[in-house]
Amino acid sequence: MSALLYLYRRSFCNRVKKALRKPATYFFLIFFGLYFFLLPYSFRVMLEDWKLDSPEGMVIVYAVFAIWIIPTNFVAYARRKGLLFRRSDIHFLFPSPISPKTVLLYTHLKTQLTNLIWNIILFLAGLYLFRVALWRMVFYFLFATLAENVLEASLVLVLYGSERLGEKRQKGLMIGAYALIGILVLLGLGVYLKEGLSGQWVRSFLGGDAIQLVPVIGWYIAVLHLLFLDPTPVSVAGGLLYFGLTAVLFAMAVRMRCLGDYYEDAEKFADDYEEAVEKRRQGRTDVRIGKRNKLGKAHIVYRGSGARALFYRQLLEYKKSRFFLLDFNTLVNLGVGIGIAFLYCKEGGFGDFNDFILPAAMAYVVLIFAGYTGKWGKELLSPYTYLIPDNAFRKLFYATVIQHIQALINGILFVLPPALVMGQPLFTLVLSVLSYVLLCACKLYAQTVAEVAVGGVLGQMGKQFFKLFLLGIIITAAAGMGILGYMMGGINLAYLLILVLLAGALAILMTISTLCFYRMEMVQ
Amino acid sequence: MLEVVRLSKKYGKLLAVDDISFRIPDGIVGILLGPNGAGKSTVIKSIAGLVRFDGEIKIGGISSRELAAKKIFAYVPEMPSLYDGLTVREHLEFIRRAYGVKVTDQDVEALLARFELQDKQERLGNELSKGMMQKVSICCALLIKPQAILLDEPMVGLDPAAIKELKQVVLELKEQGVTVLISTHMLEMVRELWDVTFVMDRGHILGSYTREQVGNEDLEELFFHVTARSGEERSEGDQSEERSTESGQNGQMSPESGPTAEKGAKGGR
Repeated sequence: MSALLYLYRRSFCNRVKKALRKPATYFFLIFFGLYFFLLPYSFRVMLEDWKLDSPEGMVIVYAVFAIWIIPTNFVAYARRKGLLFRRSDIHFLFPSPISPKTVLLYTHLKTQLTNLIWNIILFLAGLYLFRVALWRMVFYFLFATLAENVLEASLVLVLYGSERLGEKRQKGLMIGAYALIGILVLLGLGVYLKEGLSGQWVRSFLGGDAIQLVPVIGWYIAVLHLLFLDPTPVSVAGGLLYFGLTAVLFAMAVRMRCLGDYYEDAEKFADDYEEAVEKRRQGRTDVRIGKRNKLGKAHIVYRGSGARALFYRQLLEYKKSRFFLLDFNTLVNLGVGIGIAFLYCKEGGFGDFNDFILPAAMAYVVLIFAGYTGKWGKELLSPYTYLIPDNAFRKLFYATVIQHIQALINGILFVLPPALVMGQPLFTLVLSVLSYVLLCACKLYAQTVAEVAVGGVLGQMGKQFFKLFLLGIIITAAAGMGILGYMMGGINLAYLLILVLLAGALAILMTISTLCFYRMEMVQ
Repeated sequence: MLEVVRLSKKYGKLLAVDDISFRIPDGIVGILLGPNGAGKSTVIKSIAGLVRFDGEIKIGGISSRELAAKKIFAYVPEMPSLYDGLTVREHLEFIRRAYGVKVTDQDVEALLARFELQDKQERLGNELSKGMMQKVSICCALLIKPQAILLDEPMVGLDPAAIKELKQVVLELKEQGVTVLISTHMLEMVRELWDVTFVMDRGHILGSYTREQVGNEDLEELFFHVTARSGEERSEGDQSEERSTESGQNGQMSPESGPTAEKGAKGGR
């Protein structure tokens, strides 16, 4: 264990030292510091509004966390996918004479710093937001850092490390975890049928006795009841069962034989994880760990030469993918479009905001998915993009043209459902779709500008913030123009002015992007 | 000594390694040869304990899954992955603690000097080139003072000086009685090192040959000779299988016995 503690300690110290040498660290520290400083104030108002600013409220809020986290962890451990091993662990730890059980505990230990910070936040939240007595919060903190940890570490050892478990039992455990969720859903449904959907439903369901009898999750909630409220026979029974389960799992974990069968699964997960991290770093936020896109066969005839090859190569890739140009973004756009249409019908319109709802939602969706860079982000990282003998503007154009077509499809799917139910004229519909396409194009080229402007200094997250900042300026200016146009001549003029502004912004961004791209070519 | 007894490994339905056995005595350098997809990596991962397998692997007479066996075994993977948060020197310190080896600071200095890493000691793992990482990986393996060492494509990414040094290290290890198994495609690089070679294809060991047996034949020639013969036999086997399917016979060939293979060459099926 001394080697692992050394590894943990030195890795932590070196990372901190390295981070402190980067200016981006200070920028993020100030940003997140302010964010977390202001967060409790808004939370307090929210909890007061919902009448959850009491120990009962704390039980309910923490119960939600428990329902969310416990089954997820349980299933992940049972599938030997919950713990994060890195390739360096596979290189050095797995072949080493460190017991595989200790290796599991070490990996669990790596998550404990985050857990400790989380527990401190919950401790302060209990005192400040939920007005729980200090002694109760001290007990909670001890429970969360000790007992809960013993249970989780034992669970990790038993589920990950057990070599007698076998595939069938592993599946059985997963089914068991899903069954627990099923029981919770049934319980919630029962309370809903009895009391209807209201604030009281939440209290009766999450704060009631029945939930405390559901194995594992419920027993945990029973401990929360014991800690924050006065004991009841149900919470005492649930609490005892929780501690009993902890003792049984601990004993099993200690006695269990583990020679490292899980290394194979851990290695596979580590590879999948690092691959996904790398792809996400490239802006592919749709990538899921261990899930690979199934590609079919396709054929394409390349026409022309130079930068056009980028277009045809991308087209070939899209043709091979199952849904061609459609992706997760398309689904989101369609979903939001249908959602707006549904709300319009349900609420009987949005009153004075009828004309503004669509452009506002459009801007919101583009901002939310600002991190998604699609093939363009990938193109920027490929050396071949820079090696193709053509000028920077043509490369920029041909490498992004398909994404403009995608934006057009997404824009139509986004705008069409609400436009139809609102009875918008075709001209307005066309203008709104065009606004969406131009906004997406601005987002695309902002990526290149961000890459050159701050990529080297502020890193990946800095780039995202800078991109958001640029988009924020453009959207604010477009909103101003839109309001002006609306006041002067209605919605069509508003869209026309928005289009003029976005086209101007796009021209500027494209020019800067071309220059930036040219500069990147030189650097590459 | 490294013993692999009736090793089989399946990935789902794919049989990557099919019932292979071989043995490398102390002080012998074994080379694992084979085209891509032959099953070499699976054999290596099995020996290093990174995958589940059927059969038995013994290092110094101890089951490879026991901690005692791991303590005397060193592994240099094809793709070195260092800890982002540890410096070169700290990697060595970590290995020293993990394996409980008694080495002095002077030993560590000497090892770093041998692979020209002294000036890189304070660099973090992710600040090194692939070649540098490989050197650190080799240094970590040597620090263990192993009785058996497994080197997977160890020359890839190394500069000529480091390759020369590594060859010298292998010869020294051999003299010290260490069992060495090298998996490589760079046959030129191991020409003067090897004592026994195992040629693999499609999950089988096609043949195992000692240097005495081969005589003047070059490793490269031997490799092409064996794999080409296997290819021919396979196509003949396929044809005879077609015929035997018609007549109801099995087309499998009988195994030959190699000098260090318990169950030696297996022809194509």
